[in-house]
Amino acid sequence: MALGSLRGWWRTTFGLVAIVGVVLALTTLAIGFIAFEATHEALEQQLDHRIATETAALIDEGHDGPEGVTIAIRRREAARSTASLDFLLIDPNGRRLAGGLDAQVPASPGYVELLPYRLNGEQRIAQSLTTLLPGGYRLLVAADRAPIDEMDKSLLRLFAGAFGLMLVLGIFAAWIVGTVTRRRLASIDRTAQAIIGGDLSKRVPVTGAGDEFDDVAITLNRMLDRIGALMDNLRQVSSDVAHDLRTPLTRLHNRLDEALASDDRDVQRSAIAAASTQSRELLDIFAALLRIAEVEGIGSRAQFKTLNLSDLVDGIAETYRPDMEASGHNLTTDIAPNVMLHGDRRLMQQLLTNLLDNALAHTPGGTTVHLSLTRAGNGIALGIADDGPGVPDCERARLFQRFTRGEHSRTTRGHGLGLALVAAIAAAHGGTARLAKPPGFTVTIAL
Amino acid sequence: MRILIIEDDAETSRFIARGLTELGHQVVASHDGRDGLFQATEGGFDALVIDRMLPGLDGLSLVKALRAAGGTAPVLMLTAIGGLADRVEGLESGADDYLVKPFAFSELAARVQALGRRQAAPADPMRLVAGDIILDINRRTVVRAGQRVTLQPREFALLVELVRNAGRVMTRTMLLERVWDFDFDPRTNIVETHLSRLRSKLNAGFDSDPIETVRGAGYMIQGN
Repeated sequence: MALGSLRGWWRTTFGLVAIVGVVLALTTLAIGFIAFEATHEALEQQLDHRIATETAALIDEGHDGPEGVTIAIRRREAARSTASLDFLLIDPNGRRLAGGLDAQVPASPGYVELLPYRLNGEQRIAQSLTTLLPGGYRLLVAADRAPIDEMDKSLLRLFAGAFGLMLVLGIFAAWIVGTVTRRRLASIDRTAQAIIGGDLSKRVPVTGAGDEFDDVAITLNRMLDRIGALMDNLRQVSSDVAHDLRTPLTRLHNRLDEALASDDRDVQRSAIAAASTQSRELLDIFAALLRIAEVEGIGSRAQFKTLNLSDLVDGIAETYRPDMEASGHNLTTDIAPNVMLHGDRRLMQQLLTNLLDNALAHTPGGTTVHLSLTRAGNGIALGIADDGPGVPDCERARLFQRFTRGEHSRTTRGHGLGLALVAAIAAAHGGTARLAKPPGFTVTIAL
Repeated sequence: MRILIIEDDAETSRFIARGLTELGHQVVASHDGRDGLFQATEGGFDALVIDRMLPGLDGLSLVKALRAAGGTAPVLMLTAIGGLADRVEGLESGADDYLVKPFAFSELAARVQALGRRQAAPADPMRLVAGDIILDINRRTVVRAGQRVTLQPREFALLVELVRNAGRVMTRTMLLERVWDFDFDPRTNIVETHLSRLRSKLNAGFDSDPIETVRGAGYMIQGN
């Protein structure tokens, strides 16, 4: 394993869940420790309290001196009423006066937590309180610590068990979560590998559980569908380009061959002139293709500005009016004033000129061309309609695609890219270009 | 004019240099951005033709550096990219005109000529005169030999452009850019149509046509 992957092991699903498990176990350990300490302390205090109460009771009963205390101790030992407590009363010389406790009385008064003593010859530990009585007498009251130790032990066993269980469960959970996650990720990975391998039809399996993995899988599949559609489009465009450029390139080639083969200067000149025109047309096609690709690729509309579309449409209409009139067309307009658009001035001009160029090129004289700009709800509707021959139904569907030319326009100038650019410009402005129903030819741009 | 061509493609450079020399210009060629900048900074040129993509230093940076160094020679930038923002970017860098490859030589020649003249601004930019034609930009009026001529706004703009560049050829593309703000070439001959209308209005009652058609190049109005 590389050092890098070793360093990042904790980032794996196993690692992350294991970390959670360990943190949980450590938390349990800390809580257990606190609970243990608190319980232990409470038990000790309880014992201290019993010892103090008993000591006070003994002193109270023997208020007339050591003799009274001796009697009280004897009474208690005889009654065995306090089996868990032991007593010892000594005089100033250290002589035992009363009590069966077999231990050394501490020199100074006060509590001793761990007092060694003997019971039936056995070494034991007690908790004790030494009280100094008037006259140098010392009273020792002690309680065996065995119950506390017992409690400590069982508490420790309990907490150790809980900690262990936590650790085991944590590791088990890590293993389950890790396995499930890895299995789901592996299926996504397999799909991606297959696609890298060239099979673009593969999709990430969706289990139908509706979980986050399914959400990701659905999103990924939609992305793959989109990429697939783009690839299809690209393939279509490439084959269109290849197909539609072959004809003019062949013609160019033929013309140049013709010029080479001839000795007549006039024939050569006219062939070269024709070849020059053809190369110019090819360059135009490339320019148009590049422009379409560029417009389709407009990602941000950062360069867009707010512009008065009414003025723009009006200006173009006035620009085309002389040509329309010269060719016997009739141009009418219906332009709503001050329609504003966030867009690119030159692209919108190109959209309009392409549509008007088409109208001029493909309709006979006497045709009325109507240019309209209206507000439609929240949007804008830009329309160009003519009462010319229109296009056959079979050509309508492909009209906005590249290199589509109507059968009747095969003979006229143009490369079949004008409407594709119109559609691309409309799309770049967040709109659509649509061909309305006959009669005539009507394109509506909804922006 | 003394013209510096900074273009790395040898064939294009030779093509431009030969054409401009034939027109009587004195041409110096450079094939590298950094070398071109040195030559341009040394001065003595009336116009610079600079390719946008150059080894050593790209065209945009070259023009910026030249302008920063105080070079004022007018620049025509050539580019193989005709993108939407490229033209604006080129002009903002300090170039005076922008021409997209491939171009006809006549187009380049006309633009270089127009550049050379641009430095001299008319005394009163609101009143333009060419021959017997007087234009008042503010009032949007045209007077030819004392006779008032009424024009449509586009026809007026077209005439202003021609008169402002009197004595120089204006190509179809230059007119499309400057009068219509088009960065593309429509299939319909709108320039020709508007010019013919302008001519018929301008020449009504006169024998001579002040607007000359230069074959294969463009249109020109004679200066004083």
